Amino acid sequence: MKRGLAALLATIALLASGVSIAAHHSFAAQYDSKKPITLKGGIARIEWANPHIYFYVDVADASGATVHWAIEGGAPSTLYRAGWRKDSAKVGDIVTVDGFLARDGSKLVNMQRALLADGRNLFVGNSSYYQKGR
Amino acid sequence: MPAHRSFSGGGRVACVLALLSLATSAAAQTPDMSGFWINQYTPDLSVVLGKQPPFTDFGAERWRTVDTAKDPTAICLPVGPSRGFTAPFPFILVQHDKMISIMFEYQAIWRAIYLDGRNHPDDLADYPYFMGHSIGKWEGDTLVVDTQGIDERSWLDTAGHEHSARLRLTERFKKTGPDTIQWTVTYDDPIYFTRPWSIERTFTRGKPADRVLPYTCNENNKDVEHLMPFQPNLNYKHVPEKKPGGL
Repeated sequence: MKRGLAALLATIALLASGVSIAAHHSFAAQYDSKKPITLKGGIARIEWANPHIYFYVDVADASGATVHWAIEGGAPSTLYRAGWRKDSAKVGDIVTVDGFLARDGSKLVNMQRALLADGRNLFVGNSSYYQKGR
Repeated sequence: MPAHRSFSGGGRVACVLALLSLATSAAAQTPDMSGFWINQYTPDLSVVLGKQPPFTDFGAERWRTVDTAKDPTAICLPVGPSRGFTAPFPFILVQHDKMISIMFEYQAIWRAIYLDGRNHPDDLADYPYFMGHSIGKWEGDTLVVDTQGIDERSWLDTAGHEHSARLRLTERFKKTGPDTIQWTVTYDDPIYFTRPWSIERTFTRGKPADRVLPYTCNENNKDVEHLMPFQPNLNYKHVPEKKPGGL
């Protein structure tokens, strides 16, 4: 538990520094590390494409209406090397996503964790492969 | 009988042996760096340096006010010659006597390092390139590469360290084992920095079955429309380095 909290704090510290955990650009130019969010819903579509993968989740809001959220993940090559494939999740799979909201107010989340019903932590990149001795 | 056939058999053998001997001695001096290599991801060079680089007043003000939403790689412009080696993606190095080619997975972009003794072209400043123009030579077992003509729109890292058109990179590649290359890069830019400064990183050989995977930046780059101005360093206070011997 303590380790999990330490990891979360380390992640938040990294994100707050404005430096991305991807190479493409600064995290903080797009997402707000002070606005974490958890969403649960069915996967509607998966885009396994560069520079980042996206998947889309249909989430029921308080009124029962369905809201379509875009979830941004890592680069396909990073995810591939971590063992993920484009069909590792299927449309219709129920997923719980933890992440951070986009600063521009759009229905867009940067994924930190996405748990499938079978316990798999979906589309997590193996950044340690590249972070040795940073 | 054609002139080139007039050599005696023994003469030909002697020539071939002499050439082989030359090739062998050259090969003995220059380690083979060909292969698939993994970078150390370094999104902020100052973390490795342990402090901010020695900014000029101009460089410090650029750092203080940099807007990281304007990172050129966010709109898929080329990563630049040194940042390609600090991105979280591997590269392939192909080594020949007169040229070394670097093929980066990131952005599927490349560098050519000319080893044939040429200089930088006279008109390089008029035709800069994001990846610069690189010439190299061997100093013992170390490859030393000089790169100039780097488009000033490229950034040195994700954190937002910038440079001018006068940036000159000196990179030293030294094999420290069969599966490691020590890479030392020196950034020399009188517009941004008061003196040259360097960092060191290690490249590690990939697994035998590793391959370059697709990275087509413009394929689905939806980030652009969501980027918003972000200036993380507005509280940065510039403290110029004390000159040696100064008060």
